[in-house]
Amino acid sequence: MNEVMEKIERYQVPKKENLWQKTANLRTSILYLSPAIVLFSVFVFYPMFKTVYLSFFLTDARGNAALFVGLENYLYLFDSTSFKKSMKATWLFALYTVPSIVLISFFLALLANEKLRGIGFFRTIFTSTMGMSVAASAVIWLFLFHPTVGVLNTLLGYLGIRPIPWLLDSKWALVSIAITTIWMNIGFSFLIILGGLQNISQDLYESARIDGAGYFYQLFRITIPLLSPTLFFILIITFINSFQSFGQVDILTKGGPAEATNLIVYAIYQDAFINYQFGTASARAVILFFMVLGLTLLQFKFLEKKVHYQ
Amino acid sequence: MNWKKVALALLLVLVVMTVAACSKETQESPAQTEPKPAPVNEVVEIEFWHAMGGSLGEELNILVDDYNKSQDKVKVTAHYQGSYEELLTKFRTVGGTKNAPAVVQVFEVGTKYMIESGHITPVQDWVDRDNYDLSQLEENILSYYTVDGKLYSMPFNSSTPALFYNKDAFREVGLDPDNPPQTFNEITTIAALLTTSDRYGFSTIGHGWFFEQLLATQGANYVNENNGRTGDATEVLFNGPEGLKIFEWINDMHLAGTYGYFGRSWDDARAAFQAGQVAMYMDSSAATKALVENAPFDVGVTFIPYADDTERHGVIIGGASLWMANGISEAEQAAAWDFMKYLQTPSVQAKWHVNTGYFAINPQAYDDPLVQQEHEKYPQLRVPIDQLQATKKSTATQGALMTVFPEARQYVVTAFENMYQGMDPKAALNEAAELTNRALDIYHRTK
Amino acid sequence: MNTGRTTLIYALLFISALILFFPILYAVSVSFMDGKDVFNRALLPSSFSFDNYKKVFSSVPLLHYLKNSFVVSSLVTIGQLTVASLAAYVFAFIPFKGRDFLFIVVLATLMIPWEATMISNFLTVQHLGWVNSYRALTIPFFASAFGIFLLRQHFKSIPYELYEAAQIEGLTRFQIFYRVVLPYSRMSLVTLGIYSFLTTWNMYLWPLLVTTNDSVRTIQIGLKQLQTVEVATEWGVVMAGVVVAILPTLILIFISQKQLQKGLTQGALK
Repeated sequence: MNEVMEKIERYQVPKKENLWQKTANLRTSILYLSPAIVLFSVFVFYPMFKTVYLSFFLTDARGNAALFVGLENYLYLFDSTSFKKSMKATWLFALYTVPSIVLISFFLALLANEKLRGIGFFRTIFTSTMGMSVAASAVIWLFLFHPTVGVLNTLLGYLGIRPIPWLLDSKWALVSIAITTIWMNIGFSFLIILGGLQNISQDLYESARIDGAGYFYQLFRITIPLLSPTLFFILIITFINSFQSFGQVDILTKGGPAEATNLIVYAIYQDAFINYQFGTASARAVILFFMVLGLTLLQFKFLEKKVHYQ
Repeated sequence: MNWKKVALALLLVLVVMTVAACSKETQESPAQTEPKPAPVNEVVEIEFWHAMGGSLGEELNILVDDYNKSQDKVKVTAHYQGSYEELLTKFRTVGGTKNAPAVVQVFEVGTKYMIESGHITPVQDWVDRDNYDLSQLEENILSYYTVDGKLYSMPFNSSTPALFYNKDAFREVGLDPDNPPQTFNEITTIAALLTTSDRYGFSTIGHGWFFEQLLATQGANYVNENNGRTGDATEVLFNGPEGLKIFEWINDMHLAGTYGYFGRSWDDARAAFQAGQVAMYMDSSAATKALVENAPFDVGVTFIPYADDTERHGVIIGGASLWMANGISEAEQAAAWDFMKYLQTPSVQAKWHVNTGYFAINPQAYDDPLVQQEHEKYPQLRVPIDQLQATKKSTATQGALMTVFPEARQYVVTAFENMYQGMDPKAALNEAAELTNRALDIYHRTK
Repeated sequence: MNTGRTTLIYALLFISALILFFPILYAVSVSFMDGKDVFNRALLPSSFSFDNYKKVFSSVPLLHYLKNSFVVSSLVTIGQLTVASLAAYVFAFIPFKGRDFLFIVVLATLMIPWEATMISNFLTVQHLGWVNSYRALTIPFFASAFGIFLLRQHFKSIPYELYEAAQIEGLTRFQIFYRVVLPYSRMSLVTLGIYSFLTTWNMYLWPLLVTTNDSVRTIQIGLKQLQTVEVATEWGVVMAGVVVAILPTLILIFISQKQLQKGLTQGALK
């Protein structure tokens, strides 16, 4: 970027400019940037401050900020068992989904990176869940998990496994939502990891093969180290996505049973739009913001390292 | 080049959509090009939001269609908005704006919220204006929606809970199918007999309504201030000994493996009952017709059970009523009022009652030959009516009033689910009480 | 090469594809079943009929929902491409004081999860009277930090000589933007376009909040609606709705898989 600027400056310096001309770049830039600036201000920055503001208030039955209460909403949340459950569910959900998504997608990408006839077909199939919306996916899985007509328990029955109370037991319900989420997310992760694999130069493998290295030696000494930035990128994206899961909860369990699947965004939705407690809902939203912020900073730190590394 | 392919893809999608859109128009043209009345005769179009899914929704659409055909001044469009809870959430987002529907169906526990929302006109205003004779309607249903002597909303679909049981299963284990259990203990005993490796004896739908009813039938109030009828409730009472009795009763069966839980979805519990996965369960009387018709076995209906050490007090009117929005023009309100009146006519009520199982708000409907015939054919439809008439009048059976009622229901259901996951019944119930008290507290502080 | 290894890989590919694709295949299968098949948990329909499809189109305005989704997704795609390419052009080519700072501010918005701001955004939209309109569903999504970032990275790969040549030719800034930069980056524009189209098409929470009637309701909310209306008895009908809803995006994915893979990996990792 600096290079570009220097070049441009070199061309422009010889001319004698007045203030109007000097600010030409600035003026054009502001013009070109204005749509983005306006939109970000109205729909990102302003609401962020508004959310923080609301989190210090109690709202009346119509959702207006009615009573300043300082930190009460936060203190209430940190003290409530329901919030602890929600946090536990959120983190446990991340634990169930994130590693599974990355590992399964990595495995599929390795398979699909082989140069075989018809591989394009498999790549498309593996990517396909990227086109599946959360509503469609959740409805399909709702049916598969269904206690009366669900086919999943029938299939398990063929293997001699007793029916599982998928959405009815608090432990299984979170697992069920996790399975749905993993399935939905494989498409995108697979695509990115496959792209990462194809960026690795074939020469490295050639020379490794000449040295007589086996498949697993190549995998652990070449593929994984060189792919690590991609894997890390996917890890963070998946992590943040898992914090933002909503549709699958809304359609499959509505946060139940016994709040076992009351993930943070669902809890926000329920507080805000069902109970009309915008205050506590906003406090939850602020907490979500800090969780995502923490993870994103982690990513930047890593990317910095990676840039340094090269 | 690749981008060409992609452009092609987008184009393809576009074509598919266009074709689809066109085919729709041809498909639906008969319905959509319904002769539009000449502008001379201005038709008032109003929206009606409801929460009737499945077969109930189909019946409701028939009523709306009938109304639209019966006259040419008003056209009502019915919009299904999901469950009662979801409907209320949506109404909150548009209440008081021009997007608000003229008529909205709200469940009974949303009554206080609606009164305080400021987005509605009490139907009493139109009753007075029109000199409408309210005495023709069922008094103990009207009383639920009458607050401070004013009728706020027009009762529409009223139901009570009932106990549904599988008569074939009763016969199978040697029980008398015409002598169903009446008390908590009887249920416990019989549920054990009915339980097999792939069938539970008893179940309830994961919904707070059933708890409220089991509490009322013991004569206990849900909140203080005489169930919120003489003042704003400040504290819940549902975690008293009567409430605990309900929790412990179900917990005992759950631990014994004779109680099965099929989640919060009404449909899932119904599906389980019809599939023979559970032999007895409580449901709304509005499900009567559909269950009797669809279940591949003989369905019995009886009163909800009561605690052994008390007498039976009866049930609270449940279901929903129709509210009139206030952000709309007078012509629209007049149209809404006309539609409401139409729904209360005996013949409409007769049809609604026999096709769903909801009560007839206008008791004249019960004299209708259609109703008499159906009651002979489906004697089960008679049971909830008897149950309602046998109810002892008290603040307990009149039902509680509080703004945060929908929230309280969630907490109660969560308490039940916590108990199924091993939590102590008392602790679970008290947690629900504390959470509801906090909601009440916030309500009072921000009022 | 080694045939044993090839067979193994094919076997793994087939099994993985089958497991992964099973839910979709099964949804298609159920969409042709009648109530009895569903009740018996059959894997394949006992007889083949389009009754469920006929029923789904008559019970909810599915095509209308599809049209809404299509309009909303297209508008957001166009909006995002416009806003992002203009901003990325500045960030890649026009230097001014404070530009880098501004770019960091844009990137910082990536850290604010949409769900954390949705309450206030909802209040804003309600205030503006946008509930139940395409405006509420599209305008808040026109600015995408991801899009700006992705395009800037691509714009920067344009040889600077090209930009200089254009300047010497006497082209104005806007002419350079739209005669040189945009055509040169059409690959990345198409990638971003597909990506925004897909994500908007699949949006769920926001449309759930801001639509209360069928006029602008999208297909995703339509599916939820359908599922609650029909679920007790008519799973076949629900699945027919699901199949109709996923068809457009699946076709899009099938055709553009390669393009997406290239475009997104470069954007994300360079």
